[in-house]
Amino acid sequence: MGAVGYLYRRTMTNWIKKSLHKPVTYFYIVFFLIYLSAVPFSLRVMAEQFGINSPDGMVLVLTFLAFWVIPGNLVAYAKRKGLVYRNSDVHFLFPSPVSPKRVLLYAHIRTLFMQVLLNLFAAACGIIIFRVPTWRLVLYVLFSLVVENVTEGCIMLLLYGSERLGENQRKWIVRAAYGLIGVLVIIGVYYYLTQGLSTAALGNFLNSDAVKMVPIVGWYISVIHLLFGGASTMNIVGALLYICLLAAVVFGAARMKCTGAFYEDAAKFAEDYEEVLENQRQGGARMRIGKKKKFGRASVNWKGTGARALFYRQLLEYKKSKFFIFDVSTLFSLGAGIVIPWLYVREGGFGYVEPYIIPAVSAYLTFIFTTLNGKWAKELKSPYTYLIPDSAFAKLLNATGIQLIQCLINGVLITVPGAIVMGMSPVTAVLCVAACAVLGSNKLYALAVAEIAVGGILGTVGKQLFQMFIQGFVIMGAVLGAVLGFMAGGVMLAYCIMDVILILLTLAFMVIAALNFYKMETA
Amino acid sequence: MLEVANLSKKYGKTLAVDDVGFTVPDGRVGILLGPNGAGKSTVIKSIAGLLRYKGSIRIQGIDSRETEAKKCFAYVPEIPNMYEALTVREHIEFITRAYGVEVSEEEIGQLFEKFELDDKQDKLGNELSKGMMQKVSICCALIIKPRVILLDEPMVGLDPAAIKELKAVILELRDSGCTVLISTHMLEMVKELWDVTFVMDKGHILGTYVKEDLANEDLEELFFKVTGQAEKNERGEHSQEIIPDHSENADGKEDGR
Repeated sequence: MGAVGYLYRRTMTNWIKKSLHKPVTYFYIVFFLIYLSAVPFSLRVMAEQFGINSPDGMVLVLTFLAFWVIPGNLVAYAKRKGLVYRNSDVHFLFPSPVSPKRVLLYAHIRTLFMQVLLNLFAAACGIIIFRVPTWRLVLYVLFSLVVENVTEGCIMLLLYGSERLGENQRKWIVRAAYGLIGVLVIIGVYYYLTQGLSTAALGNFLNSDAVKMVPIVGWYISVIHLLFGGASTMNIVGALLYICLLAAVVFGAARMKCTGAFYEDAAKFAEDYEEVLENQRQGGARMRIGKKKKFGRASVNWKGTGARALFYRQLLEYKKSKFFIFDVSTLFSLGAGIVIPWLYVREGGFGYVEPYIIPAVSAYLTFIFTTLNGKWAKELKSPYTYLIPDSAFAKLLNATGIQLIQCLINGVLITVPGAIVMGMSPVTAVLCVAACAVLGSNKLYALAVAEIAVGGILGTVGKQLFQMFIQGFVIMGAVLGAVLGFMAGGVMLAYCIMDVILILLTLAFMVIAALNFYKMETA
Repeated sequence: MLEVANLSKKYGKTLAVDDVGFTVPDGRVGILLGPNGAGKSTVIKSIAGLLRYKGSIRIQGIDSRETEAKKCFAYVPEIPNMYEALTVREHIEFITRAYGVEVSEEEIGQLFEKFELDDKQDKLGNELSKGMMQKVSICCALIIKPRVILLDEPMVGLDPAAIKELKAVILELRDSGCTVLISTHMLEMVKELWDVTFVMDKGHILGTYVKEDLANEDLEELFFKVTGQAEKNERGEHSQEIIPDHSENADGKEDGR
């Protein structure tokens, strides 16, 4: 592969070397090893419950994955998306005399490391969950890494790189890929109408001969059936068609004309991808690649000076945003606020956890949205925040003011419907809203504490893990307070103590954040 | 030689460049001038092979999309983007492999010395300052010994020593017969370098000016005259010119303007 091979080798080697020099890497390795080891064992229980803990079960899972992955990839390649290039590739690789086909293969090869890991994980699942014989798994991994990779690589070359395909033809390929999904759905509907909705019917559908004859997706599924279940007429026919497809795409890709017309789309994708990465680094909401945020027109009446400017600037930005100050956490709070009373009615209560179910769900939501820090995270990174001539505490309050209001709204949304249906007393409901709002606010200041404590040592993920850790500490403190309060005087006292602990710890985080808010430099 | 003929480029329905054509002969330095949004970047990216376009771009007489044309063409973009996990030295190694050029250790050493990179060879791409990145980008372009080189705002981010060195290198390249095209707003920086200037605005080439034909005319004045920005200045549309200056002179007296 010449220059491209060198680039891949050196990038990987340096990345591994650099990672091994950081102590936090070993923490991540241990964390992910434990996590990845635990997943197959926990999934085994689920597989046993559904009765799919056999090689046929693995076939079902792989078939189901193929339904989405293969048409999804076809659509992405036809739209000249789905291959990740960086701005460095646009700078050095695209203008170079390296063959554009090799440039395409380079992007494909970069996913190889992840593919090897995924295949090893699939093999582990095959042994632990589905009890597949080792030799069949070895064959599957070889097929996946070699044959499937070559087929996909050539399809990618043909769809992404071909200069014979015009805009209209690309649109038709996208439609055809959706058509494949449509055919699979029609077959599924037929099985539902004839056999009803059951695990057996689902199995019959996924194993059906009709599915195996669907072009590309079905042929791949036939090979999977052949590898895990053995030979049958349809498996062999489908596998032969897959081999024909392989030969055709290899031949087509080798003969295809490609002078680099795709560079324009790839460069645009690289630019958008870098923007998404940067946004994630800044702690912003997850963006879709290539989707620019749209802003409307708005105005504010600026009042006050100094740190107030931060508040009004944020307000102006929020007013220009489509969803004002609300984001996905508000949506989830609303969803939880509806689901909790619905479950309460359906299940006839939540037993002994009933009084605390709302703050527990709120704590869970705070945890899963740890990475969503909105404008506050950007304020922490902006030099203007530090340059504004005002006290650190005033800046802290003004920079988080609107998000504190959002936390309060989220608290109301998650609490009020459940409080009404479960018959909570108004005082307990208010205390519950306060607990949820303070939990959300605590997350904001925990971010600042994490930035101060480990911002200079750990990367983005490390900082987020640390933030989760200290948030976990706060939640544990609140739980402990609630338990002691309940034992001493019942639900009301439990909520009071829980709120006091949450407020005190949040204030402590605020003070730590404010004391360090006069400079950008972190530990 | 760099030949651009009938170059047109549309982004959706917007025509960014309309039937642009110019030639920079061997051993000449061409300057592409134009206000923001004139279409310079589109022309540059088209020459570098990063855009689809209508028309023809030829490098040393070969279609710019051909491998042979790319082998003798170097490009320094406005914003350098390094491979984060590649060292400075590895960037050079990668480029020599990509372009298939034989380069001696001595040549690499000399280039690094010129741009004060000799002690930065083992630094990774993400450990460099913007100025250092620009120097590496320039070194990567020079190491292939190009016959045509395209520099987009090459002076931005460079320290004065590096700017001086780059100017000397550009003159060396020109003297060795290389074709140089520079896109820049920093007219002062290219005053002593240019041989031919192409002034662009609104997707068109408004004028082509050869240094020998212009006797003593200043490049800056020429630019303002051609793009009509001089009239705007006279009408006071340039905000910088109408800001009252209340600064005091060194002797403490108010500026008399």
